[in-house]
Amino acid sequence: MSNPRPAVIGADVPRVEGIDKVTGHVTFVDNIEPPGMLHGMIRRSQVPHGRIRRIDTSRARQLSGVYAVLTGEDLLRMDIDPYIGPAFKDQAPLAIGKVRYAGDPVAAVAAVDRDTAEEALDLIDVEVEELPAVFDVQDALRPDAPLVCERLVPAGTFADLIELLGGGDVPATSNACFQYKLRRGDVAEGLRRSDRVFEHTFSNPPTQHSDLEYHCSIAQWEASNRLQVWTATQSPSYVRIMLANMFRLPESRVRVRVPYLGGGFGSKLYMKLEPLAALLALVAGRPVKIRLTRNEEFFTITKHGLVAKLTTGVTRDGRLLARDCQIMWDTGAYADIGPRVTHKSGYTSAGPYQIPNVRIDSFSVYTNKPPAGAFRGFGIMQVCWAYESQMDIIAREMGWDPVEFRLKNVLREGDVQATGTVVHSLGLDQCVRAVADAVAWDYREASAPHPTGDGARHLVRGKGVACSMKAVITPSVSAATVLVHSDGSASVLSSSVEMGQGSDTALCQIVAEELGARLQDVAIVHPDTDVTPYDLITAGSRTTFHMGNAVRMAAIDARSQLWPTAAELLDAAPDDLTAQDGRVWARTASDRSLTHGQIMMARFGGRAGTIEGHGLFETHHGSTDLDTGQSDRVTAHWMCGATAAEVEVDTDTGQVRIVNLATAVDVGNAINPFACRQQIGGASVQGTGPALLEEMLFEAGQLTNPSFVDYKIPSFLDLPDRLQPLTVEDPHPDGPYGAKGIGEAGIFAIAPAIANAVADAVGARIPSLPITPEKVLRAIAPP
Amino acid sequence: MVATFDFLAANSVPEALDLLARHGSDAKVLAGGQSLIPLINLGLAQPSVLVDLNHVRDLAYIERRDGSLAIGALTRHSTAAQSPLVREICPLLAEAVPLIGDRQVRSRGTVGGSIAHADPVAEILSVAVCLGATMRVEGPGGSREVPSSDFFLSYLTTALGPDEILAEVRFPELPAGTGTSFQELVRRQGDFAIVAAAATITLGDDGAIRDARLALSGVAPTPIRADAAEGWLAGKQPEAAAIQEAARLASDGLEPDSDVMASSDYRRAMAEVFARRALTEAARRAHAKPTR
Repeated sequence: MSNPRPAVIGADVPRVEGIDKVTGHVTFVDNIEPPGMLHGMIRRSQVPHGRIRRIDTSRARQLSGVYAVLTGEDLLRMDIDPYIGPAFKDQAPLAIGKVRYAGDPVAAVAAVDRDTAEEALDLIDVEVEELPAVFDVQDALRPDAPLVCERLVPAGTFADLIELLGGGDVPATSNACFQYKLRRGDVAEGLRRSDRVFEHTFSNPPTQHSDLEYHCSIAQWEASNRLQVWTATQSPSYVRIMLANMFRLPESRVRVRVPYLGGGFGSKLYMKLEPLAALLALVAGRPVKIRLTRNEEFFTITKHGLVAKLTTGVTRDGRLLARDCQIMWDTGAYADIGPRVTHKSGYTSAGPYQIPNVRIDSFSVYTNKPPAGAFRGFGIMQVCWAYESQMDIIAREMGWDPVEFRLKNVLREGDVQATGTVVHSLGLDQCVRAVADAVAWDYREASAPHPTGDGARHLVRGKGVACSMKAVITPSVSAATVLVHSDGSASVLSSSVEMGQGSDTALCQIVAEELGARLQDVAIVHPDTDVTPYDLITAGSRTTFHMGNAVRMAAIDARSQLWPTAAELLDAAPDDLTAQDGRVWARTASDRSLTHGQIMMARFGGRAGTIEGHGLFETHHGSTDLDTGQSDRVTAHWMCGATAAEVEVDTDTGQVRIVNLATAVDVGNAINPFACRQQIGGASVQGTGPALLEEMLFEAGQLTNPSFVDYKIPSFLDLPDRLQPLTVEDPHPDGPYGAKGIGEAGIFAIAPAIANAVADAVGARIPSLPITPEKVLRAIAPP
Repeated sequence: MVATFDFLAANSVPEALDLLARHGSDAKVLAGGQSLIPLINLGLAQPSVLVDLNHVRDLAYIERRDGSLAIGALTRHSTAAQSPLVREICPLLAEAVPLIGDRQVRSRGTVGGSIAHADPVAEILSVAVCLGATMRVEGPGGSREVPSSDFFLSYLTTALGPDEILAEVRFPELPAGTGTSFQELVRRQGDFAIVAAAATITLGDDGAIRDARLALSGVAPTPIRADAAEGWLAGKQPEAAAIQEAARLASDGLEPDSDVMASSDYRRAMAEVFARRALTEAARRAHAKPTR
């Protein structure tokens, strides 16, 4: 560390792009329009499952203004690999042979404008022979269930998905495409020795990400087979690799650029519209943009629905002795990243607790519904909903305080987690204590309802708590470059996507800190795969920890190239130099200092030259026993959070109002404390939606509420009366300045904390999300 | 698909009627646009002509006239919400209007537009039905007056002809000392109500209920008056047991439709709860001395 004290790290600096964003000066993909650009639109299947008999596009092709019309059949005739999918190659940009959900793309058109494209879509005749369909995970696992996907070809792209290649117990001809399996100790024996055994089933429906910006991609073919793409993606490096594979091009001939994103939350990961835009552009010979509508968003990607059966044995003295988790994930008609969701949440499906005997069987299951993918937390929200609901039931039935029961069992430094990996740097007990304090938890043994209503309105209050942990995706790679220009200002080349989470600001802070530069002299170069080095994905709370380390290494590398020149000019040893706020000086002679521009001038003898610093940060996975899931290192770091909620329930209507919502996340060491609280607060509010309001409703495979009129997300007026985003700091030895990833942990425990508070208030348990007034009323007063 | 239509701005009521006469049922009247424009954007309405009333200045007013509150059809919700005259003459309306949509909707949306659109759970409809408002309708043959009981026919359907416009709504003034209350159940703040109840209670000199009115919405294709409940309350003391029975009578036999927002059973149960709440609050306010 060259600085006497961190100057920029730990400061509440405003977002570097904040003013431009709120004044409407930033560019999103939909603002980009290359000359001659066409508009691509998609015709979708009306039926949930069927064999494609015939698609007649002749009338659409004849329409004036139409430049390209494509079907799945056409893809087979092109010199491409039409199959995509981050886990299994089970999906094509347009359905080939079969449609697998109502909304499955069957044909696409590129035309001069959206009206013409839409008119052309109406002129396409699609003939589908309907097949029996399956909409429920339990039905889908019956031996006689219709098969949604006939063949599984592992994509082989991601190093963390080793189990895709085998290890599970599911037959090849099943709708279960993936099984995560964990065995620790002896669950049967543990349950037998328990004083009480609890068995419960919890579920949640598929929901939406609801990012404000729709999916949008533009593709343009240049001379000599060079593909250029602008896309709203969280994974530019992955998109480049996959487009290169699809079109059999070297990666160096595929250029993927990402400006700002208007929200992601996992919906914009892996490939979505990019291949179809590229295919249409290839056929049309002109650039093509595809931008979805809100309605289409509902048919593109969802958050997984889940059914989880938990059997838990406890001892009379308040210890968890054994837990069995049987979990089914509704991954919809295509696996998308469902197996990673199953896998990553699999590690901690038994909760953030010390449990000597654990069995986890977690299945990713196909159904004839829109595909489910990543959502903030990769499944942790769903498993946390299950295990934290059950923890509360156990505590209340055993007469234990819910906070103390958790504190007695949470994992701490040096404990061995269910995967066999030792836990380090996990501030979970501090998070639980922080949120309990924030709602003035009274550590009661058993609670009585707290009525607050008058005669006309029957209101009761209750409090609930929940906590969770997650393993960061491992192994993974992030690379970065820092350029110092002739005037001493610096550019940061990173493939991390700024999607509202504040990564541009955090990365600029780290580089400014290491160079001793002024924050305003450091600028981010947004993802451009021709220029910015590889990064796995912007997801899974990775960026600050992984890219933060990479840009820090790159900045130190650049600094180490500049300092010899500075040392010479200052008559000091390079090790003696320090820098802050745009000036460099020797600790021994602080009266003389140089700007970075002066050092560059001296180094290159004029206003010229570039210094390039490089950083590469990699994490590694230990070897895993595929039969037991045991590994000495499943993750590079653990993240955790806890939520306490106080609610008021109207016992006449079943309505739940959140009076107080406190969420604490272990941030390691806050690079930007204000931005941390924004992330935690934003996650908290987003979490209230699936808890109380959100649900994709289906009738015979047809979505009945595909708009924000009927699918409700919280508005500003639905915010908790009091929202408390809190940080806990348990520094991580491998994080930049001790920082950890925090993007997801704030949302994990929101729903169970609210459900537990509702149970505290009215003594009734809602085992399925969302907690609607109707369900609450039925639970209070069964008909 | 981007909607295409001819946009014709009228500067006066006769001009608007003339435009409607010429374009007939191809035309839709545009006031605040808070329902019509979303319907057009969603492709649910495809008018070929929009007749814009926003320049017809003499349709925007709030007056006391002949024992009633007269509101010009083009009066914005926000104007009604801020009007001392509305608070004084028609406190039920004053209580309901701030619950309409969100701030943007209230700034742009109009009282007449809401009534002419006739979404059955729109707040103003329940108020109009509860109070027995009268609509002044202008058409090619001149003016006609339509009581609310004849005006709202069904879901999004009124007695307005395609060549007519709604010009004014008159809410009758209630006797001094009448208590009123508007209560609604929403899934989310600012949403259309799942169920709403509008109630008024006027007490006699003996403290017994002289007149009770109760309108419910969200349980039928238009807001409905709860005649049985009103009849039951007449002459009773405004006490909890009587109100509870009135609420039961009001919801008894209702057969609302189920939809994505709520089941039929839940709507019926909530009709009883909100009838009780509105009547209870109206009775409580009726006890209060008039402030004038």
